[in-house]
Amino acid sequence: MSRFFATGSDSDSDSSSQEEIIPRQAAPIYTFSDDEEEVKRVVRSTKEKRYEELTNLIKLIRNYKKIKDMSSMLTSFEDLQRAYVKALPVVQKEEGGQTPRFYTRCLVELEDFITEMWEDKDGRKNLSKNNSKSLASLRQKLRKYIKDFDEDISKFRENPDQPDDEEEEEKREPEVDSDSDVPVKPAAKVIKPVVRDEGESSSDSEDWPSDSESSSGSSEDEEKFTSMRERFLKRTTEKDDDDEKEKKKDERRKERKDREKRKLRREDEEDEEGEWETVKGGVAIPSEKPKMFAKDAEIDLSLVIKKLSEIIAARGKKRTDRREQIELLHELQAIADQHNLGAAIVVKIKFAIISSIFDYNPKVSDAMKPEYWTNLIERMSEMLDMLRNHDNILISDSVTEETERFDEAPYRIRGCVLTSLERLDDEFIKLLKECDPHSNEYVERLKDEAKVSAIITKVQKHLEVHGSQSELCRIYLRKIEHLYYKFDPLVLQYKSGELPRDTITSMQEMERLCKYIYAKDGTDRLRTRAILSHIYHHALHDNWFQARDLVLMSHLQETIQHSDPSTQILYNRMMAHLGLCAFRHANIKDAHNCLVDLMMTGKPKELLAQGLLPQRQHERSKEQEKIEKQRQMPFHMHINLELLECVYLVSAMLIEIPYMAAHEFDARRRMISKTFYQQLRSSERQSLVGPPESMREHVVAAAKAMRNGHWAACNNFIINEKMNTKVWDLFYQADAVRAMLTKLIKEETLRTYLFTYSHVYDSISMSTLGEMFKLDKPVVHSIISKMIINEELMASLDDPSQTVVMHRSEPSRLQSLALQLADKINNFVDSNERILETKQGNFFLRSANQGGFRGDRQNFRAGNVQDWSRQRRDNRREY
Amino acid sequence: MAKFDLTSRMGQYLDRHLVFPLLEFLSAKEIYDETELLKAKLDILSKTNMVDYAIDIRRQLYPNEEVPEELKQRRVHVVAQLQELQQEVEPITKVMGNDEVMKTMENMRDSKTLINFLSKDYNFEIDMIESLHKLAKYRYECGNYSVSTSYLYFCMLVLPPSDKSYLSVLWGKLASEILVQNWESALEDLNKLREYIDSSPNHFGGNSLQLLQQRTWLIHWSLFVFFNHAMGRELIIEMFLYRPHYLNAIQTMCPHILRYLATAVIINRGRRSALKDLVKVIQQESYTYRDPITEFLEHLYVNFDFDGARQKLHECHTVLFNDFFLISCLEEFVENARLMIFETFCRIHQCISIGMLAEKLNMNPDEAECWIVNLIRNARLDAKIDSKLGHVVMGAQPLSPYQQLIEKIDSLAVRSETLVGLIDRKLKARNDIRWGTQEF
Repeated sequence: MSRFFATGSDSDSDSSSQEEIIPRQAAPIYTFSDDEEEVKRVVRSTKEKRYEELTNLIKLIRNYKKIKDMSSMLTSFEDLQRAYVKALPVVQKEEGGQTPRFYTRCLVELEDFITEMWEDKDGRKNLSKNNSKSLASLRQKLRKYIKDFDEDISKFRENPDQPDDEEEEEKREPEVDSDSDVPVKPAAKVIKPVVRDEGESSSDSEDWPSDSESSSGSSEDEEKFTSMRERFLKRTTEKDDDDEKEKKKDERRKERKDREKRKLRREDEEDEEGEWETVKGGVAIPSEKPKMFAKDAEIDLSLVIKKLSEIIAARGKKRTDRREQIELLHELQAIADQHNLGAAIVVKIKFAIISSIFDYNPKVSDAMKPEYWTNLIERMSEMLDMLRNHDNILISDSVTEETERFDEAPYRIRGCVLTSLERLDDEFIKLLKECDPHSNEYVERLKDEAKVSAIITKVQKHLEVHGSQSELCRIYLRKIEHLYYKFDPLVLQYKSGELPRDTITSMQEMERLCKYIYAKDGTDRLRTRAILSHIYHHALHDNWFQARDLVLMSHLQETIQHSDPSTQILYNRMMAHLGLCAFRHANIKDAHNCLVDLMMTGKPKELLAQGLLPQRQHERSKEQEKIEKQRQMPFHMHINLELLECVYLVSAMLIEIPYMAAHEFDARRRMISKTFYQQLRSSERQSLVGPPESMREHVVAAAKAMRNGHWAACNNFIINEKMNTKVWDLFYQADAVRAMLTKLIKEETLRTYLFTYSHVYDSISMSTLGEMFKLDKPVVHSIISKMIINEELMASLDDPSQTVVMHRSEPSRLQSLALQLADKINNFVDSNERILETKQGNFFLRSANQGGFRGDRQNFRAGNVQDWSRQRRDNRREY
Repeated sequence: MAKFDLTSRMGQYLDRHLVFPLLEFLSAKEIYDETELLKAKLDILSKTNMVDYAIDIRRQLYPNEEVPEELKQRRVHVVAQLQELQQEVEPITKVMGNDEVMKTMENMRDSKTLINFLSKDYNFEIDMIESLHKLAKYRYECGNYSVSTSYLYFCMLVLPPSDKSYLSVLWGKLASEILVQNWESALEDLNKLREYIDSSPNHFGGNSLQLLQQRTWLIHWSLFVFFNHAMGRELIIEMFLYRPHYLNAIQTMCPHILRYLATAVIINRGRRSALKDLVKVIQQESYTYRDPITEFLEHLYVNFDFDGARQKLHECHTVLFNDFFLISCLEEFVENARLMIFETFCRIHQCISIGMLAEKLNMNPDEAECWIVNLIRNARLDAKIDSKLGHVVMGAQPLSPYQQLIEKIDSLAVRSETLVGLIDRKLKARNDIRWGTQEF
């Protein structure tokens, strides 16, 4: 329709605008003779241009209203404001300061729409963040802006319908018999096209959904329109006009009512899921719905197939209403059910329904609406049940359209269950991410997890019969991804022998699925993900050795940085849990090593994809933010960050404090854990240290107590009510962890004590030490022996008296300083040598030597004097 | 005592023929029921061609039954086939009989020229090698190992390493050498085989699983060589502990090999440095495999639990006594293990009562004293015996800080001096060049 108008008006406006503009334009710009010519060439007048700009924008806004795209609406609205300011002089001239009706109409409609949107709280919640923000700002802007037009609007609201019609009438007339009528009223005529455009486009744009929604509706529209035009054609006198006007008004009102009714119905559907059921039932088909088939048509298979392909053919076209498609398909299914056309066709229709529900959401990044989601789940499981009950149906994407067969036994259907399932799973994750994780809504959604898992199991069973290896791998991985993060208490019971040997716990299930993938998978990605999930699962259930061996055997540490981000995230999650598992098994060093990479950067949240952090250096672009949001983990899979940090800090403390004590005067002492040092330093900087409040403060306080060799205080800081609720109770076997911690704290504090205070003692009895630290004598003996063997403690045991005799060989302050000085001089000489080498420009030699130097540094702790001399000799040889 | 017996575990990685010595050993030790062992032997023999041996065992097992007809027929069949094969390779056996030709053959550089040489002079065809290979295998199955070695040796000379049956020839050669107890050449073959496996991962189509299997087999077979060859104790550490591929194979496929590795390290006094690495591995695998020997090391070097170590040492005694490979080094093991306990003891303690020491070492006090005196006399221990109190007092003095300091600074002066000298030389050289340029 608009196209029709566009061509028609072009010629129309040509004649009128030229005549009109030349005199007006010539007057102010008479100095430029060339301009006159140029203006002549200009087809439209400025006014028209401005007006068209406005109408175009209004049209846009209307379209956005339809799809509730708030952000685009906001920008269009701003454009509209600007355009109106531009058009203002023209408006003033033409209408004497009166705001054009169509503009006012647009504002009024917009206002109505915004208030409606604002009122609809549920709907608002469902909007994406971006959209709801735009809605708020649009509402504010509009309010402010609309104040200027108060008068016009109130006038408009009194009789909203009248003026547009009037003008439409007027403009129709001349257009129709334009050749006979020389422009009578130029002023009116110039507005005409614009106004008409507005009027038509409004009806056009409002109508188009209903257009496609019901073919009868649209045909009705068309009918009406043609009749309208006929009327215009017939019209000769002004008298008729009034009649016409009345009629038209009636019609319009009717139409509007209709539209409202339809809208209402649609909203109903959107709000209540119950409505869906009735539609699905197919019995209570609304009267205005188009008839699927002719009333007396014999409904048979081929007819249904034809209709189905007809509906499917409309898929993906711009003007098809996706909601309508879903409804039509439901109806078709009902009809097929009624007439017992066989399972195959029903499966096929269900398939079409599922894919059209997927299609419903135009944006891939947004989640689908919950009611569609529930619908989707139901359809999916229905379809799978049917597939299971009829095992003579072959459904595969290798079947071409031509070879599909619905009529006899080995049915063949084109389609891929697996792909639909994968899509469904992805949608589920998206849906979860959309919800606020602390709301009930999230819990409600999460309840669907069981359903999704059940569907996956169904598909798995289906594929185990019909599928190929690679398909099985894919479905297994899906299954694994729904399994690996769940803690199954049965596993621990099984391990402790409480359950009979043949119970199937999630561990065995994982084992089976993963092994299949390891053996059969052709793509590297699936295998990597399976391994990572497998390790995660092992770590979650305290299978430390298996988890560790899998990590070591897979060699993933070396290649993981080349894989895709989501696999890297999985790797990070796996590492976090491996660290926790190591901690539970009292392998403090391993725990520290696993966690250090995550915690060093200070942004474990980001590394585990559990939330975005604001970036300081550069803002993310919208695209980037979108991508990163897509990667986030849904809330129920999150790993507790405080627990992670606490475990990390405690293990750092257990390693670092004895080390610090042992190397107090060592100039080359290196930091084992930077993060831990930061915490320590920041607490030292405080002038007044209060009792610890947060988890970190507790650990720092404990570290200080440990440094003084006060194990009981240290233990109290680590294990107390606050820390229990915050951290330790999160472990499954919290008491075991606490006992382990106490034991470790005792041992490490004993070591620290010996390092720190050994110079005060000449000899110390082991039984005293054992009493001090509440440790058994063999343990004390073992710890001290270890220290002696590793040359950490210069002492030896005196067996008859059961004492530790110190050797006084720990350097005094002066001596250790002297040793440090010697170290430094050594470095100095070394760097001198290197400088000389660089001056010589012997690159090969230099690089070789540097390597040696680096190695030296690492070995230095072991007191490797030999290395130095070797290097020296090397140097000489080179010279 | 069957608890720590590894024969069943090892058996799956060994050749049928290689299992016989183990079974013989077991029957000598009388750990298992004799008839069951005989049955096992018979089972193994059923797939070989050693029909006579099988008949013997049958008689032992069922003295009252007649030898079944089937076996007799089989014997005839085997002999016939043997002759048939023998005829096929007639020319080669003739060549092999000729010492001179063999000598020239050994000096040939590569297999191509060798084949040319042979086919020209001795109407040799390449297909014969295949039959020879078959014959060697047949001979081997018949228990005729020494003949099979010589045949396989010929095969190895002629075949290029890229040939598909080369690997099987290598394995066959190694097995026969082991069975004829020719340890020198067995070791040679072992090295050849290892090189072949390590250097050509492509032979197994990049299939790391197969590679791993090959290595596991090699590890088990090599035990025969290592515990019989004089150099074996050195080499076993080299191969098992310091070749990451083999260590990996042990860790993933057969952690029970750790027993042999541990024993080898313990009896090898010169390789104390390997202990640290070994203990690490043992700790890592402690959840999959533990036996008294690994536990002994764990107690001694991880927990410093001397009582535990002593107990384990006692258990080790029986384990070693019942192990086919280790029985020969039982004495050595006990001696060295004692020494290890004592050494660690000395490093930790400065004063030990002899009574306690004797108890820890499973000796009576007088013996222990005598033992320590011997150690001191051999200058392996810097200690004195306080006989009044019955103590051993260590004499080791720790490094004083002064010494440390001196050690550190010691070299600095020399280094700086060379540096200065170098710079001087440079400067001079530069000046010379300047002079030179100025002149021109």
